[in-house]
Amino acid sequence: MQIDFMVVFSYWQVLAKGLALTLAFTVTCAILGSLGGFFLSLLRLSKNRFVSVPTGLYVELFRGTPLLIQLFWIFFCLPVVFGISVPPFVSVALALTLYMTAITSETFRGALKSIPSEQHDACVALGVARWNKVLYVIFPQALLRAVPPLLSNVVSLFKESALISSVGIADLMFVGQNISNSTARPVEFLTAVAVIYFLVAFPLTRLVGVVESRMLRRYAY
Amino acid sequence: MTVPHLVASTPPVSLVDNKPCGDFIQLRDVYKSYGEGLVVMDRLSLDMRADDRLVIIGPSGSGKSSLLRVMMGLESIQGGTISFQGKPYIDGQPGKHGKPLDTRLQTQVGMVFQHYTLFPHLSVLGNLILAPMKVHGLSKAQATEKARLFLARLGLESKLHAWPSQLSGGQKQRVAIARALMLEPKLMLFDEVTSALDPEMVIEVQNVMLQLAEEKMAMIIVTHDMHFARHIATRVVFCANGKVVEQGPPEQIFTSPKEPRTREFLQKVLHLD
Amino acid sequence: MNYQFDFHFLTGNWGLLWDGLKVTLELALISNVVGVVLGFGLCLLTLSRWFFIRWPAQLFIEFFRCTPALLQIVWFFYCVPMLFDVFIGPITMGVLALGLNLTAFNAEAYRAGVQAVPREHLDACVALGLRPWQRTLYVILPQALRTALPVLMTNGISILQQSALVAIVAVADLMYVGKSIATEAYRPLETYSLIALIYLALSLPIAQFVQWLERRQDSAMAR
Repeated sequence: MQIDFMVVFSYWQVLAKGLALTLAFTVTCAILGSLGGFFLSLLRLSKNRFVSVPTGLYVELFRGTPLLIQLFWIFFCLPVVFGISVPPFVSVALALTLYMTAITSETFRGALKSIPSEQHDACVALGVARWNKVLYVIFPQALLRAVPPLLSNVVSLFKESALISSVGIADLMFVGQNISNSTARPVEFLTAVAVIYFLVAFPLTRLVGVVESRMLRRYAY
Repeated sequence: MTVPHLVASTPPVSLVDNKPCGDFIQLRDVYKSYGEGLVVMDRLSLDMRADDRLVIIGPSGSGKSSLLRVMMGLESIQGGTISFQGKPYIDGQPGKHGKPLDTRLQTQVGMVFQHYTLFPHLSVLGNLILAPMKVHGLSKAQATEKARLFLARLGLESKLHAWPSQLSGGQKQRVAIARALMLEPKLMLFDEVTSALDPEMVIEVQNVMLQLAEEKMAMIIVTHDMHFARHIATRVVFCANGKVVEQGPPEQIFTSPKEPRTREFLQKVLHLD
Repeated sequence: MNYQFDFHFLTGNWGLLWDGLKVTLELALISNVVGVVLGFGLCLLTLSRWFFIRWPAQLFIEFFRCTPALLQIVWFFYCVPMLFDVFIGPITMGVLALGLNLTAFNAEAYRAGVQAVPREHLDACVALGLRPWQRTLYVILPQALRTALPVLMTNGISILQQSALVAIVAVADLMYVGKSIATEAYRPLETYSLIALIYLALSLPIAQFVQWLERRQDSAMAR
């Protein structure tokens, strides 16, 4: 069988639709997950054991199990547990969001920890106490420092989103596999899909580096 | 800027035990340890007058920085008492938390640290006006004007809108000093503020401190720079093992120290001069 | 919730689960060996003086880091036999895909470690007359390894999670076995929960170890 990459171009519309769905899920779950992760990281700082322990366990659970199993669990088990039928899109979005929440909470936690202790000392020396300190000194710096790893998290989410193809969601991965099966041309189509993922993820990854060197060097160190 | 020439005055000495006295700051039997036998202040007693400029010297781990940090309220003591401006300031006795009792007194102490602690996400102006606005209730216009004045005194007016990342080490430390001065403290603490700087920037920071000395600011300085200590101090205090071993005017301490421990330390440190 | 928990159906399936677990462990461990060893080699290639060695190595890394692991696995399973006209067993194929993926990520981890070795050490090697390969083996590698170890281990745990993806190409690992049992017995809740717990039990100790390691390294640096 001859390898012919031209075939890919005749399917560009279907592939584009798949990509659109992938991006839709990525962006939605990235935003929701980042917000969730932010609040979760605040909860984890709580002195109250009843708050900090369960939230810690949540993070360990989502980081210590394959995303595939999380997806399957939410997709197959959640409707059973709650006795309601959940549309596939919702299940999938929920799984991705919960995963993103867990990893971004670690990102925010790391950002908070990376603020040098001398900053806290300076606040004491200036008499800038609790809420003022948190609002004007700690939070701005934590958010700034969190941006590069957060962008990395979004790129990870973009890649992990390919898993939703395994429960039948017509994302880029699903579409690519479908076409490659029906045309019996896996090399052309799977490679094409790989290239598409690469063309989105690679610039974003480079952007992380640029943000880190330009922005952080100016405002964070 | 010419370097002012200072002559250290001889502080009054108590007739009772021949030790310098003063009621601006009084440390009495202060005890501080970090647990596991690491005692940094071992029943340390020290007096200071309002026109004193104390320079604390001594081997590492002798409690020099701890003394400053305790005065600032960054760390607690586990024994003894400290009074400030004649009022009880820190009570380390059992059952008490060993930190400043009165936050208004605490705000009259300013501190500058060894490593640049300017807030990197705020401009120089932002750094200077944050505390005056948020803690002392100045309006933005008032605080900005004050910031402009203070920077002008230090020769840094052009840097008002610069970012910390754009400043040299010496400039950052000078801004840090200005930031502390904005709150008009009665006492300034300097914790090895030139130790992390390149040699050519040390002078500009020391000049600012000498300028403050001329304006009669009470200060406690921890430094390794003996030359500078000699220049600025009214009294040099040699600490070792958490206690005051010897104290006196700089000429006396540096040229004819009485205690053998002091002599030993100075020999090691000064032979590099 | 009127769901009746029933774990009894599992008793007949312990054997299957154990076989699946063995496959998962095999995949994870061998991929890790491949990834840890080749990762350092790849890292050295990216730091080479010659552009024509550096550039392809970097491209390799970027490709594996910027595309989904699932896609890489599927690609290997469907395209490699076709392209190279070979038949490779599923587990070997899985190890290949996961191993190369890990190699790329580990190469980046090693690079950070190598760049953290102080320049003075390299100068000292020249002064002592060590040849380049000796310098790499005896001075750079140990130090880079020490710095990179937490990340390498975290990546290792990642590959354990990613290994579940081979279930999609019908490799009989723990995930695949779990899925079959869940569908056959109509008991997704118990099965998937159990599978998740097994993965957790495998990853959690290593993750805790990594945290302990990082704390030790932090205090060592602080001194």
